[in-house]
Order: sequence, then C-alpha cells, then structure tokens
Amino acid sequence: MPSATTTEAVPIETAHEDMIHDAQLDYYGKRLATCSSDRTVKVFDVIDGETSKSSGHTLKGHTGPVWQVAWAHPKFGHILASCSYDGKVLIWREQAAGGWTKVKEHTLHTASVNSVSWAPHELGAILACASSDGKLSVLTFKDDGQWGADIFNGHAIGCNSVSWAPATQPGSLIHPQQPGAQPAMPFKRFASAGCDNLVKIWGYREDTQSWVEEETLDGHTDWVRDVAWASNIGLPRSYIATASQDKTVLIWTKDSPTSPWVKTALDPSTASGAPSTAAAGKFPDVVWRVSWSLAGNILAVSCGDGKVTLWKENLRGVWECVSDMSS
Amino acid sequence: MSSTNHHLNLFPPLIQAGHAEQFIQSGKTISFAQSPLNQSHAVFPSARQDAPSIKYSGVEEQPIFFASSETSPSSERRLFIGDTSIIFAALQNLTNTAQNRGQDWLQSQETHNVIRKLTLDYINFARECWIHTSSQDSSQFSGDHYRSLYTCLSLFAVLYVPEYGYEDAPVGDDLMEWLNVHFIEPSTEEGDHLSSLDHPWEDDTFWPYLVRVTLRGLSKAATFFLGTLSTHPSDNLRRLAQQLSPLLQSQPHLQSFEAERDFAYASHRWKDKVQALRLELDNVPEIDRHDGTENWWDRLSDIVGVLEGRNEVIRRVCEDLGADWREASVSWGVFTDVRLRRQDLPEVVSQVVEDMPPDPTNLEDMVHAALFSGDPAKALSHAALLDPWLAAHMADLMQSLSLIEKETNEDSGLNIRDFYVLSYSQYLHADPALWRITVAYMFSCGETGVRSADEVLMHVSLRLSSVGTIAHSQEETNGANMKSGDLAGVVKDINATCYEYQREEVRRTICRIAAQSFVQGKEYGLALSYASSAEDWPGLGRVVDRVLQEYISAGPEQFTRYVAGIAPSLQALRMQSGAQGIFIHRLMFAVRYAEFHQRLSNRDLQDAAWDLISMFQDGIAPKSWWGVLLCDAQQLLQYDGTLLFPYASACILLQHLEEVITRTDQGSGDEYLRVLISKLGCSGTTEALHALQGVRLALAKYFARCTMIGTGEKQVAERKFGAVV
Repeated sequence: MPSATTTEAVPIETAHEDMIHDAQLDYYGKRLATCSSDRTVKVFDVIDGETSKSSGHTLKGHTGPVWQVAWAHPKFGHILASCSYDGKVLIWREQAAGGWTKVKEHTLHTASVNSVSWAPHELGAILACASSDGKLSVLTFKDDGQWGADIFNGHAIGCNSVSWAPATQPGSLIHPQQPGAQPAMPFKRFASAGCDNLVKIWGYREDTQSWVEEETLDGHTDWVRDVAWASNIGLPRSYIATASQDKTVLIWTKDSPTSPWVKTALDPSTASGAPSTAAAGKFPDVVWRVSWSLAGNILAVSCGDGKVTLWKENLRGVWECVSDMSS
Repeated sequence: MSSTNHHLNLFPPLIQAGHAEQFIQSGKTISFAQSPLNQSHAVFPSARQDAPSIKYSGVEEQPIFFASSETSPSSERRLFIGDTSIIFAALQNLTNTAQNRGQDWLQSQETHNVIRKLTLDYINFARECWIHTSSQDSSQFSGDHYRSLYTCLSLFAVLYVPEYGYEDAPVGDDLMEWLNVHFIEPSTEEGDHLSSLDHPWEDDTFWPYLVRVTLRGLSKAATFFLGTLSTHPSDNLRRLAQQLSPLLQSQPHLQSFEAERDFAYASHRWKDKVQALRLELDNVPEIDRHDGTENWWDRLSDIVGVLEGRNEVIRRVCEDLGADWREASVSWGVFTDVRLRRQDLPEVVSQVVEDMPPDPTNLEDMVHAALFSGDPAKALSHAALLDPWLAAHMADLMQSLSLIEKETNEDSGLNIRDFYVLSYSQYLHADPALWRITVAYMFSCGETGVRSADEVLMHVSLRLSSVGTIAHSQEETNGANMKSGDLAGVVKDINATCYEYQREEVRRTICRIAAQSFVQGKEYGLALSYASSAEDWPGLGRVVDRVLQEYISAGPEQFTRYVAGIAPSLQALRMQSGAQGIFIHRLMFAVRYAEFHQRLSNRDLQDAAWDLISMFQDGIAPKSWWGVLLCDAQQLLQYDGTLLFPYASACILLQHLEEVITRTDQGSGDEYLRVLISKLGCSGTTEALHALQGVRLALAKYFARCTMIGTGEKQVAERKFGAVV
C-alpha cells in the first residue's frame, strides 16, 4: 500500500470573515457546521468532500467569537448547539421550510463558554457546557418542550472541554437483543478538562438529583486542552484520551467500574518524521484536540506543529501512530 | 520509524513549504473534525485558543480540507471486495455451524475439504483480478499487487491447507510446482534463443540454463537440451548426456505412488543410479573436461550434484544463478531430502536464509518467508502491510484451521483474527457505499465487532427524502402503499440487516431517526409507521400531536388532509399487541376529529353532531381539546334548520362545559384550555372562557328550543343514537 499520498479534494471555502475555531460533521457526515471569531455559525451540505454552493446557512446570534458547535442526535431533529465568548450557549433548530432558528438561549454562564457536548442519545437530549470560570452546566430538553438546567463549579480556574461517557458500561456481556427486551439502565456521566491540569469525572445521582464529582485524573503538568471519552464499541474497558498544553496526550483506561484509571502517554517519537530531538512521550508543540473514530479504536490528535496524527492500539496493546496528515 | 506509517499531505497545501514556523508564530494551529461517514477528516487552520484576539481583514480565506487516511476502493477493487466477501460469508457459515456441532466436526474431513475449497476460491479470485488488472493502466492497485496476493495465498494453501490426509506427506513436489507457477525461471525467451542455435553449448547461457531447468525439475526442457549435446565434439559428454536424460525423466514423484513407502524406495533406487553416473563422471580424464568454450565437466558435475541433493552445490548454484532463498529451500525438498515434511521445513529455511536472507523491503517476500518458517502470525503482520484484505482473509482461514491463537489478547481485547478482520472492515468503511460488506465483516468479530457494526449501521445515510419521492411516485399508481408507509430503499435494507444480526435496539434507533425526519417533512403517515416499527409509543404520540397541531396552525382543511395520511395506520396498530393504549387513543381521536371536520365541510351536520357527541361519550377526546370541541359544537347548536342534538346529547355537552369552567376556576385552566387558547391565538384563559360563555349561551338557547319544539326531532335523533348509547 502506498505510504505517502496526497489528498485531491478541493478545499471548501467557508467565507468566514475570521478564524474558524471548530468544525463538526453531522451524524451522517453530510453536513458541516463551522464557527468563527466572526461571531457566526455556518452550515454547509457536504457531498463527496465538497460543499454545494446553494446550501450554506449563516446562523447569527452570538455577540462574541464562537468556540464550538455540536450536532444533536438526529432522532431529536436537526439541532445544533453553539457556545461563545459572550457566555451564551445557543440551541438552533432547522425548520421544515429550511433555515435555522434559535430555539433556546442558555445564559446561566457568566464567562466565556469554551465547550459544548451532547450526551449519548439513549439519555435524551442533554447538553453539557463548560466555561472559562470553571463552571459546568447540564441542559436537559424535556418531553414537554421545556428546558431544565443545572450549573455547578467544576474546576478551580477554567474549564476547556467536556466529553460524555457512553451510556452503557463496557464489559457488560451483550446478547442478541430480542424485541421488547429492556436494555441495561443507561448512566449519566461525563469528563471535564481544566486549566487546573486536572480531568474530572462527574456522575448524576438520581436519588439526590445532582451531579457529583466521582474521580479526578491527575497526570498533566499544564492546562488540559481537550478530553475525549471513547464510545463503548465493545472493548473490555473504558478509554479516555486527554490532550494538554504540556505537549502530551494521555490515554486513561479503566478495566472495571471499581478499578482505578491507568494512564499511558502516546509516544510521538515512534511516528514517522518525528524530530529526533523530541523527548519520548512529548509532542513537538501543544496538543489541542483529541477525538475517537466512530467505528474502531482510532484516535486522531492535532498538534500545534500543524500535524494531525492517527493512533491505534496494536495487538499487544501498544499505541502506534498509523497515519499522519500535514498541512 | 514504523513502516506501517501512512503520510498524507494536503493538496493544495494549506501551508507553503518552509512557512510552517510562520504559520505557528501567527497564532494559528491546525484543527480537524472526524467524519462519521468514513475514515475522512475535515482539516482546517484554527486560532490557538490562547490567542483569540487575532482579527483578520476579512480577505484571508478560511478553507476546510477533506482528507482521508484510507483511499476509497476503485471499481475493480470493489468487485474484488464484493466477490471475495461471498467466500468469507461461506466460511463464516461453516464456523457458525461448527460452534453448534463441536470442535471435532471442525477437524473432520468434510469440513477440511470445504475450507480447502474456499481457500482455492480466494486464490482463483486473486488470479482473476491479477489477469484483469494487468490489462488495465488506471488500476488503483497494480496487476503486480494482485499477483503478490495470488502467490501468498497459493503458498499458504500448499503449506497449510493440503488435501485431507496429506498434512504429513512430503511437500517438496508441491512447493516446486508453486515455485514454477509463480516464479518462472529460466525464461521461455532464453529457451527459444538457445534452441535456435546450431551449437547451443557454445552460448554463455547454455549451461546456466541447463542447470536451472534441472534445479526446477523441468525434465522435458533439460532432456531436449541434453539431446543437442549429441553433436558435441566430446565423446564423454555425449555419452554422459545420453545417460543423464533418462535419469532426469525418471525422477520419482510422490503423486505417482500409492504409498509413500513405495515413493521412498523408488527415490532410493533412483539416487543409486545418480550415484553410478557420478562414478562415471569422475572417471572422465582431466584433459577431456574442457571443450574450448567452457569446462563442461564442472557444469555437468553441478547438475549431478543437484540431483545427488548436495547441499553446498545447490546453495552455490542458486547464488550463481541469482536464485533466492525460496528456490534453495524448495530444491532441498526435491533433491536433498525428498521426504521433507511441512513441520521440518522451518528448520531447513532457517539454515538457508542465514546466507540468503529475504528482502525486508519486499512485503511479499516477507510473507513467504514467514509462511515457510511456520510462523503464521508473523505472516499476518507482514500481510497486513501488503494489503489489509490479505491479512483479514488469511487470518480467518488460519483461525478455522487452528493455526493461530484463538484467545483474546488481554491488552487489546481482541484475538489475532478479529484484529485483522476489524482492520480490514475499517478499511472498507472508507467507502460508505460498502456498508453491507463492512458490517458483515464486523459482525464476525466478537463484541467489539458487533458494537462497531452497530455504529456503522446507525450512521448509514437513510436518504429519506428520496424515500418520500419514491412513495409519492408510488402514490400515483398505488396510493395504499404510500399511506401504509411501507419501508423503502436503504431503510428497508438496514432493517433487514438488523433482523439478520438481531440488532433490535439499533433498528429501533434508526426507525426513530426516520420518524423524526418524516415529521420534519410533514410526512406524518410515514413518521407514524416508523414510530410504531420502533415500538416508540411516546414518539408515536408526538407524531399525532404534531398532526393535531396542524389543525391549530393551519386549520381543518390541512388537518383532514394530513389525517388521511395517518388513518390507515390506526387499523394496523389496533391489531398489534403491545401497542400502548394512551397513544393509540390519541391517534383515534385525531382520526375521529378529522372525520367530524370532513362531515362539517360536507354540510353533513347531523352526522357531524353525532361524531362530536360520540367523541365525548367514548372518552377519546383529550381534556385539553374539550374547549375546542365545545366551541365547534356552538355552530351546530345555533343551526336554524333542525335540532341536531337530542336532549341527552345536549346534556353531555353541558356536563363537559361545566367541568371545563369549574376546573379552570380551580386552577387547572392550563390542562383544559391550553389547546383552545392557542387555537384562538389569545394570551390567557380569560378570552378562552369568554368563548366558552358563548357556548353556554348557545346551549341555553338550545335547551329552550328543545322545550318549545317538542319531541319529534328528539325521537329521530335518539333512534340514531340507540346503537351507540
């Protein structure tokens, strides 16, 4: 197989007037939502890696740079969440006639909201948000059309990212599902990445109707920029990836609900073209983003050096860089 | 550096060569989004979050690139993938059957024969694809690539999937056949060239050619050229050549014998003859061993040395001829140790490769070496780099033959087979159109595979808008189809796949997405079908609510049209056990309420009045709708022509009116008046109550009319009600 290739797709021109901060493909990979310092969110149809010219929509409502966008599960309809420097989280819904309208303005945060993330669909339409003052909030869309909101202190300084745990715990034996069989009770849990160098895990207690800090992952020596909880694709354990200002990516694994989280650092010195000066376990620059693939166990990592690398656990359980994309 | 690494460059480049530092200095970084559709990523320049104040003039472009770590298969590759997936499915069937029938059955002759047959099928497809792609220029994978798959699989078959009962038989002849099929030496051109010469032995290539054909066991070619030596000036050579020919032709081959013992005996006898020839050769005087061009004696001695199976001669001859470790190893099994068994081969190969190592940059060579060395797992790791297809299918066969560890690795949670089959399915996932094949491979890989397949299935684009179009075109010819909301197109396929693999939860999730999507497109009939297929009764209730909402927002005409779309579902749902009553009730109400409006618009007032009362009497009208129904009643009460309601019915209206007003007074206005308020477009309960006062007045007048006019009308009406009340 070829080991060096060049992409052939024509780049998409977004027509944003300032830097793009986030881009997210929808559930089917057919639409792309982008957000920018120009205070807008844009939605494009993507066909074979190109956008169709007529399809772009610009969603205006924020009064500051928009940091992140997130698509809700399609069973709830075409819904987007966006968060901004203006401290607001906006929920947008696509109308039957086309075009997007704002259906909810979440204003409980009083500082820049850095991250939004939808919960696994089994839990309902639930959104977690994190802001620069370290606060976390959870927004729940109820059956009667109302929204409920919880807000609480998450990190001492600021919070950069949130990511939900899969609704079902790994390692639970699965059997062919029979019609009418009750699936295992889903559980609400998410991880947050903070400027206090910590990653915290939060669980919802149905009895007290409140969010409780369950565990703290202490391993980074600088701000944690991103956290990504792997979906439960039948692997025997839970996986969390974290990316940090300290130029490392840590993979945290937990074998059973009662066992502790164990961390392993990705080692970019094993990757091709790695500078020989790089220290083992350190990336050349700040690591900004980590994200798990949909099917399988591939982790994508973007680093400040302008490279996106893809990582996979090999048969012996060692993480290897399988691909890299440079700009 | 890992040789597994794929390096991908964006084109056109986002950052010009040498400008990376400048890019980073300017406060930018690179970010990405993963596509759930395939193995691609959207890559874009982004601001570092610690420098959010960068503001550009607006002229700079903000592009997004799509890059994929896997290349989508081209059409010829797709054909190969599709054809071989059928063989994979057949083996899957076999192993599933084995699970029911036990391990003994898996090791039976019957099963072994099937596995062997399927292995040969793979080999044939690889060969076909090689022949096919060799004639094309624009193939994604060259003909040579498929040739290498062909050689690897064929070797695998020779060494690991022999005919049943032959596992412990000598393997030399089979290996030589494999070598001669795949690595043809010497070339036909060389033979043609030599046969065109009068004195071929004077040509430089003559003796090397003759040694090579001997080494390859090509006795016909050897005999032919030994024959040309009949005109050679040396008497000794002429005589020896004449003796050598029948010896080459009579070398015993295993397949000519019933029993290995006979073969071994014959080989022994034959070796004695070779020995006799060696004695004669040694008797040739030194002076006659050179013919002026060449020392023919040395060459002939090499040939006899090969036949004798002299190790050092074979090794040296191979090196001189430029032959590799494969040829040396295989010759060992044909000449040195004719009874060489599969299990002894690794020992031989390890000796050979010490001096003649395989080429580490040639993956095909590495796969062959691992297979020869009896290390199937290592063969797989090289095969995975050559082509994920090869590793997956070979691993699948290896597991069914118990050649690789079946236990899952504790760290990765996968066994060897599943690891390679999953890697291949991830490669397939690069092309979303191959989702059926992708999930078929995933579903064969334990829990991890099943969950991965679930994700792939749930993200298959439903293309519902086209379903709608199909349904519409069907409507012209067969309206019933559309109205009953038959599952169509991709959704039907995914549903079938979910049934096949018993993924009910996945199927339901997909149906819920479809239902939601149809609601958005106001295809309520289809939405209802999907909600009920998902057994999502609250969801079904929400569809009905949306239809009822149409009455409020768009009026009775639109409403009755939409209800026509959902009415056929009612009958089916009533038959269905498990369908939950409350939501079915709401659907019944929507249907009855639409009928009522239909009658109203047809001026069939008597029946309309009857409908209205029966909705109250049967208790199917939700409380929130009572106010609306009562307001509807007002115009019927005020109808001048006849008294449309019997006295008792008017009393029912009055009872309900009283309940609405009393309960509103008690603070339950929201429950009773919600719909009426939005229908009237008013802001609160006051206006709604005002409207209801109008109904009360109409009722009062109606009762007065009843008293005055007497009983005639009442009796007529009551007769109609008799059946129901």
